[in-house]
Amino acid sequence: MSLAQRVLLSYVFTLIFLIMVVLKLDGKVQWNWFLIFLPVWIVDAILILMLVIKMAGRCKPGYDPRNGSPDLRLRSWYLTATLLGLGFCLTLCAKLEKLAELKLSIVCIPLWAMMVGALLELGMNIFPERREV
Amino acid sequence: MLFSLRELVQWLGFATFELFLHLLALLVFTMLVALRADMLTPALSWWLVFVPLFAADGLSTYFTAIVSIRLYQENEKRLAVLRLLWVLTVLSLKLVCEVLLCQKLAEQEQARDLWYGLILSPLFILLQLLMIRACRVN
Repeated sequence: MSLAQRVLLSYVFTLIFLIMVVLKLDGKVQWNWFLIFLPVWIVDAILILMLVIKMAGRCKPGYDPRNGSPDLRLRSWYLTATLLGLGFCLTLCAKLEKLAELKLSIVCIPLWAMMVGALLELGMNIFPERREV
Repeated sequence: MLFSLRELVQWLGFATFELFLHLLALLVFTMLVALRADMLTPALSWWLVFVPLFAADGLSTYFTAIVSIRLYQENEKRLAVLRLLWVLTVLSLKLVCEVLLCQKLAEQEQARDLWYGLILSPLFILLQLLMIRACRVN
């Protein structure tokens, strides 16, 4: 996907999600929280599909790992982060719908794991590892 | 994931360090929210819970001011002014949203007229601005 397509995708789904959250919080609609989070499920499904296809593409015979794409370790981390985000949203919806008696600190564990991972990745970009010459 | 770090820095107009700062503040904020919701500690007011987000906004403004001054001194006047204006706009919209949300949560009874559509309106404006900026970057 080109940058414009990715920007448009994130814009449209964020806008729809925000509108649905506002309608629900203001009591204008009585929809299920799982339905409110529909844009999140769609974006996560697209992300997982894209990552799995790209990771599977590396297993093809004749694949050149030096073609500039991120390595398998990075792609695995992206997939883990997406699954953690999905896990957080699912447990949050279950809590909001009172399907499970969960403490918010339990619900937030996948989110915190994802954020700590993202912080480590950002930190490695800010302070790159010094290599011996 | 959907965007590389380079694309995000270009699009959002924030340095990597600032993104790190805001993410760290969000992490601490979510921890405080969970603590407040689970422990029901009355000593932890909503204004206290929002302190990490306010601090990140303040530090980000300071960082941007320093960068803009340096750019100005290096004769990159146009870039300095544009960067300062963009970051201040984004941070002020974010701050307005945070303050309104905090007021709504802290004063449930008095802030009954403050509906969530109004509270999140700065985010809707921010989304439009980001879309316009994305066209420029692209």
